[in-house]
Amino acid sequence: MPAIEVVLYSGAIGLSIIGLAGLLLLNNVFRMLLALVILEAGVNLLLILSGFRLAGVAPILLPEQMSNLSAIVMNDPVPQALVLTAIVIGVGVQALGLAMIMRIKAQYGTLNMLKIREQLEFDLAVQSGVATPVSAHSPVSLASGRERQLSNHKDEQ
Amino acid sequence: MDNIVLLVVLPLLAAFLMPVVARSSEVLARTLGLSVLFISIAIILNVWNQSGQIDSQAVSIAIGGFLPPLGINFYVDQISLFFALAVPVMVLLFWPWNRSTSIREYSLMMLLTASASGLILSGDLFNIYVFYELLAIASYSLVAIQGRAAAVAASFRYLLMGSVGSVMMLLGIAIIYTQTGTLNLAHLSLLAPEKLNNILGLGSFALILTGMGVKAELFPVNSWVPEVYGSVSSNLAALMAGLLSKLAVIVIVRLLILLFPQPEALQLMAVLGIMGVITGELVAWRAKDFVRMLSFSSIGQLGLVFLAFSIPGEMGMMAGIAIVLHHMVVKPALFMLATGWRGSLENLSGVARRSPFAVLLFIVLILSLLGIPPLPGFWAKYLLMVGLSSQDGSIYTLGMFIVPVAMIIEIAYLFRLVMIMYRKEGDEAAVNNPDIKVAPQSHSKWGLAIAASVAAMLIAIVLQLQPASDKLVSLASQLSDRNQYISTVFPQIHTVRMQSIK
Repeated sequence: MPAIEVVLYSGAIGLSIIGLAGLLLLNNVFRMLLALVILEAGVNLLLILSGFRLAGVAPILLPEQMSNLSAIVMNDPVPQALVLTAIVIGVGVQALGLAMIMRIKAQYGTLNMLKIREQLEFDLAVQSGVATPVSAHSPVSLASGRERQLSNHKDEQ
Repeated sequence: MDNIVLLVVLPLLAAFLMPVVARSSEVLARTLGLSVLFISIAIILNVWNQSGQIDSQAVSIAIGGFLPPLGINFYVDQISLFFALAVPVMVLLFWPWNRSTSIREYSLMMLLTASASGLILSGDLFNIYVFYELLAIASYSLVAIQGRAAAVAASFRYLLMGSVGSVMMLLGIAIIYTQTGTLNLAHLSLLAPEKLNNILGLGSFALILTGMGVKAELFPVNSWVPEVYGSVSSNLAALMAGLLSKLAVIVIVRLLILLFPQPEALQLMAVLGIMGVITGELVAWRAKDFVRMLSFSSIGQLGLVFLAFSIPGEMGMMAGIAIVLHHMVVKPALFMLATGWRGSLENLSGVARRSPFAVLLFIVLILSLLGIPPLPGFWAKYLLMVGLSSQDGSIYTLGMFIVPVAMIIEIAYLFRLVMIMYRKEGDEAAVNNPDIKVAPQSHSKWGLAIAASVAAMLIAIVLQLQPASDKLVSLASQLSDRNQYISTVFPQIHTVRMQSIK
């Protein structure tokens, strides 16, 4: 395998690993979304590389090439078409994710995944009636009230 | 036959037209969506009547006249036609009828219909990926559009998990493409025994299983299930638990049969299935409200489905299809009953006196879900046990042990709920904190009607067991028949091969 291909493949795999590690280790939802972007970029690069020939040309036949078809090395166009689709889908999903992050930030006031999850669990419990609704109108501040309720809820279980 | 393509085209067109039409006339836009659903149902029924031979013979439709493997094809056989029929019917049943529903939600429902039909009909690996992504985007948005803060947060967590899953699936598809150089399912199936029967093939199966498994509520990637089902309306939860998870399962099984001949793939599915059964049922046992109990029991049931499909041979197919179909009708009916029973389980104390009919339906449904003879659920589990017992291999023996254990746990939590429902009103005061009561709502007539018709259907199947089992056998044999798939898509290859064998 030529050195340049080694570099390209290790770059693509490296990007994927960075993305996966980010998704697993990070705690900020915005950074998690960016890690997802990096992961998608890595996988798309891998897909492109699978159809890439080092000396290849664009897969378009010109009249003067018709005579010596066997001599031409062409890049495989199918992975390129696939990646184009995958990129478009990825952009759509990322835009949707960003819109959701804005709504979450507006409603929960935090980007921390652990806190979001805690509040989500609590909201679900309230909604289904297995936890006391938070004393939003009580003199205690909202956050501490929620925390207290959460710990009560855990104790009950 | 060619107008099967309209099943994807019409809803897709309607999805993007509806917001535009709604600018001039809201009523017209709503009618547009509904009429597309009715047209889809009419098309499928027409195809079914016209060609009686679909029972034994499948049809491949080359889109735009480009023949596979270069072109893209739709593959229509009994099982894909049946699920293609189930999509518009179930979308219609769980259509958000509220006057206050925004047109955007209807538009997303149409997108869901189009992509779900495409997913089940497509005969091209990359098309399956695209339709799967479309389905995923439609369902993230449908969850988020429910408006509450919890729904948006649940949807975002679902989106992260789903997107990682689909990137994994794309990677799996890339591996398959580099190994074989094609994406057409029939062509892949022809090449699979020599090119995918190795460790790379197994890896790509695991990657695709991770991707599709997110929708199919497979064990390690199902943490979104309780959050999403808990925060959305019962209609949407019923649609997602009943229909979408089953579509993903059927696609996984089709890929497994066509592309992955190695026994390790089956064992991987069996292990994940067993883990799903154990975790789902145990957490359902601890659940404190009805919706959460249903969500986790759905994870458990899907685990049973994966365990069933992992049994090699037709027996496993039959058991798997039986459990899929059974769960597909019972779980939405239970979710519809849940609309009236939100809130803590203790809240349901004495509910049997207030709404005896709903409780009666509930009992029929859970008896079938548990597998009490002679209800259809029993026959599904019976097939599963017979299939498991006919295999040797420690994983199947473990499965034989797990299935009854799961059943006992199910009995424990479902009968506990029945006991609460039949409790006298007086007993509840001690256990119930007055603060945490959600006022009991009444069931919608529509939800009760759905639950009642499902219960009636279960009893009808008991009375017509012979025709139902015949149908099941023919479905299973067609789904597990690789050669039929190849010869339907490539009639010429089939004849060449036959000649070479002679």
